[in-house]
Amino acid sequence: MVQEELISKINVTLSEEFELPIEKLTSEAHLVDDLGLDSLDAVDMLVHIEDELGMKLDVEKVQHARTLGDIYKLIGEVSSDSN
Amino acid sequence: MENVCITGMGVVSSLGNDSSELFANLKEGKCAFKEFPEWRDYNGLSSFVGAPAQEYDASGLPRNVRRSMSPMSEMAYLATVDALKDAGLDISRNGTGEEGLFRTNNLKTSLMIGSTSGSPIFLEKYYEKMIKNGGPKGQLSTSFFKIMNHSVAANVALAIGYSGPLIAASSACSSSTQAVVMALQMIRAGIYDVCVVGGADELHHSSVSVFDVVKASSNNYNDNPLDIPGPFDRDRDGLVVSEGAGIIVLESERHVKARGGKVYAHVSGGSFMCDGIHMSQPQSEEMAQTMNLALKDAGQSISEVDYVNAHATSTKVGDIQEIKAIASLGGRADMGVSSLKGHLGHSLAACGAVEIISIIEMMKNKTLIANRNVKNIMEEAEGVNVLTENVEKSIKTVLSNNFAFGGMNTSVIINNLM
Repeated sequence: MVQEELISKINVTLSEEFELPIEKLTSEAHLVDDLGLDSLDAVDMLVHIEDELGMKLDVEKVQHARTLGDIYKLIGEVSSDSN
Repeated sequence: MENVCITGMGVVSSLGNDSSELFANLKEGKCAFKEFPEWRDYNGLSSFVGAPAQEYDASGLPRNVRRSMSPMSEMAYLATVDALKDAGLDISRNGTGEEGLFRTNNLKTSLMIGSTSGSPIFLEKYYEKMIKNGGPKGQLSTSFFKIMNHSVAANVALAIGYSGPLIAASSACSSSTQAVVMALQMIRAGIYDVCVVGGADELHHSSVSVFDVVKASSNNYNDNPLDIPGPFDRDRDGLVVSEGAGIIVLESERHVKARGGKVYAHVSGGSFMCDGIHMSQPQSEEMAQTMNLALKDAGQSISEVDYVNAHATSTKVGDIQEIKAIASLGGRADMGVSSLKGHLGHSLAACGAVEIISIIEMMKNKTLIANRNVKNIMEEAEGVNVLTENVEKSIKTVLSNNFAFGGMNTSVIINNLM
């Protein structure tokens, strides 16, 4: 799956699970300030990404992510590692 | 001794989500029983009837509050908001509103809401996933917050921005009545001025199974639930599980007078006891002892009681033991006895508070609600005025009972102040 497809897929999941308008899900969106996500949501995001994309992201790296773009980057890294 | 007043009430139930609507439906003799055909797929279950709560909407809560709530927390939240509004107490989130009694660090208040267990819906999902995945893989962070035993109380506290003493009274079907009695004792002792008390439970096939395995659930009327015999009927065949939330605001008389609030009634006495004899077989002598202790606590005699709101769930054994206990108390010949389980079903931890709310409405409307669908009163009730028709009369004093597995017996005395 190319990066754009992965991002599109995870955006749909995040939109549904966290009740966020899809248009707010941009690379620049700050996870806390713009999307209202917190530490519990970060844990759940890992579960949803693993469920949807079959990817296991590094917990510590996710905890250090500040924007959705940081999450996309982590997904990209795992994706390229597995290719 | 400090009088303890009922100053607010909120309800989500199978027959109405406010006390007036609930009373109107009870008065009309409506019944909330519905067939659940999908329960026929559960191996070994024989009862396929439940009494779901009427539609409610908790979608106004922020997602980060709702995410840890199961239906029983949502119902309890809505009932709590209504009860606080009814009492004229502030419910602002995190103490940002005006006149906040339920704001941060007000230690003279207590929030006491119990449930039978954590969410049965999410307990099933949690362990289903754990067994499937062979461990915690895939569990959401919020899953446990729905299944912990104080889930309802903690979720309501979070939702209304309450910071203070929190107690999750959990004794199954006597939970909310036990909370009322504990609040009564604590307000009298001067520990709290205001206690918001009650209980909540949600409908799930596993709750029905609990009664089914001990042959206490109705299973002869699966195709025609409205025909299920009511409490104290000779041909009763068991209970119907319901769901909902009942929340009552209890307040010291001194406190409510100081703020100029209205008073519906006094909780003038109460008692909760464990019989220590049997986990599931109700004991009439111990039930009677609990009722007598509640009367003694109120400083009243059975001859003052106008009406007994029985726990009676239409089980073969429970109704007999309770009516024997009531008969043993004596009382006036016109002392009416009824249970609302034939209308509402059995909402478990919520039932005690929902029934007290119904009692307040009976007092307000000067009408005793009769048992529903009683064609032949069971012979063990001879000499007791088991109501088969509503009675219009002034109601001053009511004795209300709730009993639970574990030998739990609870009774409260309510005195009309309207």
